[in-house]
Amino acid sequence: MSETSDALILSMLKDPVRRDKGFLQLMDTYKEPVYWHIRRLVVSHEDAEDILQETFINVYRFSDSFKGESRIFTWLYRIATNECTRHFRKNKKWLNNAVKITEQIAGEFSGNDTEQGDAVLLKFQQAILQLPEKQRIVFNMHYFDDLSYEDIGQVLNSSVNTLKTNYHYASEKIKQYLIEHA
Amino acid sequence: MKEDTEFENIGRNSPYKVPEGFFEKISERTLLKAKQREQKHRKIILTLQTFAVAASFFAIALLGYFMSESGKPEEKQIVQTKQIEEKSNETRQPEKKQTIQQPAKTDQQIAIAEITKVAPVKTDAKETVPAKTEPKEIITENLTDVLPELSDDDLLQLAAMYKSDLIIDESQN
Repeated sequence: MSETSDALILSMLKDPVRRDKGFLQLMDTYKEPVYWHIRRLVVSHEDAEDILQETFINVYRFSDSFKGESRIFTWLYRIATNECTRHFRKNKKWLNNAVKITEQIAGEFSGNDTEQGDAVLLKFQQAILQLPEKQRIVFNMHYFDDLSYEDIGQVLNSSVNTLKTNYHYASEKIKQYLIEHA
Repeated sequence: MKEDTEFENIGRNSPYKVPEGFFEKISERTLLKAKQREQKHRKIILTLQTFAVAASFFAIALLGYFMSESGKPEEKQIVQTKQIEEKSNETRQPEKKQTIQQPAKTDQQIAIAEITKVAPVKTDAKETVPAKTEPKEIITENLTDVLPELSDDDLLQLAAMYKSDLIIDESQN
């Protein structure tokens, strides 16, 4: 998304007359990447939908407090990630549910004539779910969302070196898991 | 970069599926929910503000009541203390009377004691105690017993005392 579009959306959000229109434009632009970011972290679609809505509701309510120091994209990711973290704290059994959902999908794959690639993808997701929270978030943002370490640093308030270390450990653990569960 | 090609064979697609038409409807639904949330939030703020105003009025009224009440106890206290003082004065007055009378009694007692010195009388405790309560009888008894034995000097002394002592009733004689 270009900066001019971001500026336009922001100006619309802060204008009471064009607020709703600006909100819909913001959602149309960012809902899919933000949804997938959330979904990869929480796995369950229902939880991902709730967190996505909560993220954009927060944007709607507190758009006046956004000073434009960072990009809207980074801001959205930060809110979404915080909501996910809150979800993890609130629902202690979320990981069990996530593993169950992934196993269920894996069972569906094995029963059907699905492509081999889907099964590998699922195994890959299972490996990611084994990671510690911080490493999982960093890996997802860098690998799937293709965010730079600088952007991730803005979202998570972490240094680039720390994030690189987190990503490195995450990659090693995933590789190990894939070898062990091949 | 090495890290970018590490999982190249796996790709970046997600194995998870999304219900059909989910992304088309989510924007409108979220906007509706956001508006409802904001209205709810406004109502809460309005309710809190109303409560805050009501609470402040109540606090002011309560403060006024306590301030007005704080003056009254002092008046009550003053009245009460006055009453207590009056009562204590009432109770003190008899004491004063007693204290006034006591010297009289003591004079009498001195007189009796002097008389008893001159003519020793039975000094029973029983007699001395009622002497405080009924001094007249004691005096008459003592005097009648003692008079015949008194000397002239003693009689003169008694006569002088009789003149000076106003409490001695003439009717006794």
